[in-house]
Amino acid sequence: MSAAAPLLEVDRLARHYAVSRGAFRAKAVVRALDGVSFTVHAGETLAVVGESGCGKSTLARQVTMIERPTSGAMKIDGIDVVDADKATLKRLRPTVQMVFQNPYASLNPRKKVGTLLEEPLAINAALGTAARRAAAQAMMAKVGLRPEHYRRYPHMFSGGQRQRIAVARALMLHPKLVVADEPVSALDVSIQAQVLNLMMDLQQEMGIAYLFISHNLQVVRHIADAIAVMYLGKIVEYGPKADVFARPAHPYTRSLLASTPRLRRDASRTGTPVSTTVDAPGRARAAIRGEPPSPLSQPSGCAFHKRCPYAIERCRIEVPPLEPLGAVLVACHRAADIDR
Amino acid sequence: MALLEVEGLTVEFGSVATPLTAVDDVDLSIDAGEIVGCVGESGSGKSVTALALMGLVDFPGRVRARRMVFDGRELLSLSDAERRALTGKDIAMIFQDPLASLNPCFSVAFQLTETLRMHGTPEERGSARLRRARALELLQQVEIPDPTARLAAFPHQLSGGMAQRVMIAMAIACNPRLLIADEPTTALDVTVQAQVLDLLLRLQQERGMALLLITHDLAVVAETAQRVIVMYAGEQVETGPVPEIFDTPQHPYTRALLDALPEHNLDRARLKAIPGVVPGQYDRPAGCLLSPRCDFALARCSIDRPPLDGPAGRKVRCHFALDAAGRPTHGWSEEAAAGAVADTR
Repeated sequence: MSAAAPLLEVDRLARHYAVSRGAFRAKAVVRALDGVSFTVHAGETLAVVGESGCGKSTLARQVTMIERPTSGAMKIDGIDVVDADKATLKRLRPTVQMVFQNPYASLNPRKKVGTLLEEPLAINAALGTAARRAAAQAMMAKVGLRPEHYRRYPHMFSGGQRQRIAVARALMLHPKLVVADEPVSALDVSIQAQVLNLMMDLQQEMGIAYLFISHNLQVVRHIADAIAVMYLGKIVEYGPKADVFARPAHPYTRSLLASTPRLRRDASRTGTPVSTTVDAPGRARAAIRGEPPSPLSQPSGCAFHKRCPYAIERCRIEVPPLEPLGAVLVACHRAADIDR
Repeated sequence: MALLEVEGLTVEFGSVATPLTAVDDVDLSIDAGEIVGCVGESGSGKSVTALALMGLVDFPGRVRARRMVFDGRELLSLSDAERRALTGKDIAMIFQDPLASLNPCFSVAFQLTETLRMHGTPEERGSARLRRARALELLQQVEIPDPTARLAAFPHQLSGGMAQRVMIAMAIACNPRLLIADEPTTALDVTVQAQVLDLLLRLQQERGMALLLITHDLAVVAETAQRVIVMYAGEQVETGPVPEIFDTPQHPYTRALLDALPEHNLDRARLKAIPGVVPGQYDRPAGCLLSPRCDFALARCSIDRPPLDGPAGRKVRCHFALDAAGRPTHGWSEEAAAGAVADTR
């Protein structure tokens, strides 16, 4: 698959925001996204993982062409979008669609499901009413909604069904890439499983690529092919899922994994349920101290050095580049030293 | 003797003729110094149970119980003033969204000392200076960096994790015997979540508090609690010690919930999902509430609601409780199941 040209190619993409700090002070710059590079191939899932404020959602806004990046390059389907004119962007937009986090907020309460699903077609496709209706009903069947739901309003649905509607809406234009921003974090466990299954089935059937943004490592582990871990606007570790989970190279990835509550700790290490014992209550699990710093006042050097147990003097001064280490790319001066 | 003993707790909302039963006949007992987890999906009645224990269910909500004894006192027969003296002092609570639970108009110091002014020792109630010193000490105990500066801060100046630490400081200010934590880490990032959980556990052990940990995250309960209560649609469906519930769940719902976690599906392409949704007010089945979604439901399940049954401390609400291998027992058979499916079609 890697031989083919990538569907999405992002190179040192940055998005900075100027924020006012009052009338008499100079504007501050928030580097929400600071030089991010990755590729996504057709039919593949790249998961972007990180805590709040790390730039996950800013990345989604660039990839969906809602905003123009400050610098860097981004190609979708081989076409450059950073300097593209309006007509090119309009032509490209149907190839990238988005599913949002909260299905209670992302569906217009005053529109019926049918209208919601047909709206993308009405704007982007030259189809008649009957053809649009047929397309909407076909898509509803695909995502597991019943034909009578066509005339219902979003408030008549449960959270899981609403997320099905949101997924259906994103797929109406047959996109090649779907950006899913925390699509299951507002849902209960049993419903989460239904929506994840649906997304994976549709990927198989339609060959969609996902840019799957999430903070839930267990979900990511299930759905992703590759993982990019972000911290304060930068990718700190990027590689195939199996490698990142088996041998996390960056101290931040390690602490994320260590902080995730687990049913059975040893089972998730090896991938098979070895032991059925549950951890003794009261075990300490916090791997790192402190909270992510504000993107307004980024630390010098490695952004993670203040929380990192392995930090040395060099980490405070020099920004580590994203370099290959084994099968993954990692941005850490000490990645090779740290015993894995 | 248990610190808190509740039998037959029922909370209803709406009219008397057609009530919405948010919590239906829940039994609960917590020993001093024990951690009890309460898990369930949204709408299962976890939070309403917590509010009822705190005495925070307002009219038109109705709280009934056969017995609701805290530390030898029957809670439901206390006067409002006596109940208020207890709430916030001996029983304290932490809420899900810390930034929504703190008052945005008042500083951290004001909100912390308010608890002491209401419930503190006579000396604390009499001296503002002493209260301020205690507030500082509390912020140190919950490991807030630079506590002196934080006293003057307002909630919008705090991060989520810091605000939850302030909430914990307020809750433990009067040395509660029982702390109810309602989704204390759900709104927090994963590394901060681990820190806050560690903090809660440390305080719980140091002070010998009982902790009722309410969460939808099964893994959090597996890592922290000693006993667990599984709730579904307002009913308690299973209760028992943590290792047993997670290793050999007897209720099909508990089992399905565990099976739906990505963690239990590492080698599989598809997750094992539970079909359908939690029943609402108007579509509650007559029999077992899980029967429309249950893999093992027989005809009897849709008619006859099973009682919470089993030995003390390990109860399950199912006619055909699962054995260790995950197969239904008590005369359940494939043929009867096939027949039940045929009947409903």
